[in-house]
Amino acid sequence: MSDPISGQTAICGLGVTPMGKIYGHNSHWFAAEAIKTAVEDAGLAKDDIDGLLINAGITGGTPGGVSVPLQGHLGLRNLRLLNHMNSWGATASAMVHYAAMAVHHGMANYVACVFADAPLSQGKTAGSAYGGAGRRGPQGMTSLFPAYGYYGANTGYALAARRYMEMYNVDQDKLGNVSVAQRQWAGMNPQATMRDPITLEDYHNSRWIIEPFHLLDCCLVSNGAVAVIVTTAERAKDLKSDPAYVLGMGQGHPGNLPHKSVVTMTTSGATLAGETAFNMAGITKDDVDICEFYDCYTYTVLRTIEDYGFCGPGEAGDFVADGRTKPGGSFPLNTGGGQLSSFYMWGMTPMAEGVAQARGSAGERQVEKNDVVLISGNGGTLDTHGTLILGPSN
Amino acid sequence: MSDYAKPLPTPDEETQPWFDACKEHKLLLQYFPSADYYQFPYSDRCQADWSTEWEWRESKGDGEVYTWGLMHQVYHPAWGEEVPYVVAIVELDEGPRVNTTLVNVPHDQIKCGMRVKVTFDDVTDEISLPKFEPA
Repeated sequence: MSDPISGQTAICGLGVTPMGKIYGHNSHWFAAEAIKTAVEDAGLAKDDIDGLLINAGITGGTPGGVSVPLQGHLGLRNLRLLNHMNSWGATASAMVHYAAMAVHHGMANYVACVFADAPLSQGKTAGSAYGGAGRRGPQGMTSLFPAYGYYGANTGYALAARRYMEMYNVDQDKLGNVSVAQRQWAGMNPQATMRDPITLEDYHNSRWIIEPFHLLDCCLVSNGAVAVIVTTAERAKDLKSDPAYVLGMGQGHPGNLPHKSVVTMTTSGATLAGETAFNMAGITKDDVDICEFYDCYTYTVLRTIEDYGFCGPGEAGDFVADGRTKPGGSFPLNTGGGQLSSFYMWGMTPMAEGVAQARGSAGERQVEKNDVVLISGNGGTLDTHGTLILGPSN
Repeated sequence: MSDYAKPLPTPDEETQPWFDACKEHKLLLQYFPSADYYQFPYSDRCQADWSTEWEWRESKGDGEVYTWGLMHQVYHPAWGEEVPYVVAIVELDEGPRVNTTLVNVPHDQIKCGMRVKVTFDDVTDEISLPKFEPA
């Protein structure tokens, strides 16, 4: 039995800006472009938007980051819902969760959910944009991180991956296969930044960032924005674009408590979030046709496959190794190339592709059977997790 | 004047006693009696039962490698000579997992679960960093 809200709300508009090394614009510009595109995609007008949920990325909390003042930048005057949210990479799913509940209960009619970021500047490395040295001057015990040479998200996830690999005897090829398969999908995505095919040999030859991660284990860093418009199923069905109905929603946030009383780094919130979302949708994992999983690193994908129950702990490397996640395979996964190959918009990367697949607008890479699309968001070092299940009918 | 060029930690009011103890080669942990819970890094509240009553206690300095990595990317020029260097998380026998590095062990002999003990590196007159070596 599904929950009464299942299928009663939908994503009716999608806006994706040019992505990657797009210079000369700040994150407000990208946010506005994405929302404008999403509103046009839905066949709506500016003044129809009565809800705005905002998530800034790497530039969040800096003068360049988007927040509540985006309302003024957009000249929105009818808002009945407004917030700046952050559970890191789980925020995109969460924004849609809250927007869906709001429109279902009449708090707003059309909620724009936007992620925007512009951390890259010409002549500077992506590393300096994301957690590079001197980004902030920590004090107290936080200042021990740079003292030991810990920098950025790469360190935490590499440490997590190492423990996983040693616990389950997972070799480097198992990570590489994820990267190779996703690049194959990216080749069919005109919005993807990295589209040239790669082999497992290319993967092994890419430079080490922090072992066990090669460069090709790590996501891109991108300038850009993605927006989706959430409304009721009733309103969505009469709009310009086909709706992607919201069938299930769930969250799970285990955190990352540094204490032996809890398992961290080798488990995510996907199990808890997935259970809630599957129950709401009245389905099981076996009903899923397409997966769009948060892939900040190759390892994240493997762990997420396991935590949703598609295979046991430590088995995802073998699960992926037969090529089933590649184009034409039986388990289409990250069909736009993901954050590894297309663009890095936190949880809006899997979200954008999931919406496209669910409504059948993914072009050359469209997967034929798209009744159930499972989308994940993930933040921290597997601290936060959001699940969204979309489909073309309700 | 020290010629140590890597980033140095900056003690604040709450953590100054911890850094002072490091200079004496003692590794302190917060101990919260009501939950019998050792905690690190510093917080004014117990993660186990939200108690705010605590005291500093010296750790035995024994634990095991929870996980580790080898950093190749140079994010700060002072690390340029040292890459690849080890970053690690050690799970102390008292409970907390601490971010640290491993010394006196070849990289190819590091394993999750290996027993380690604390050793202190007096990097400047003011700062000693707890690091871990095979027990």
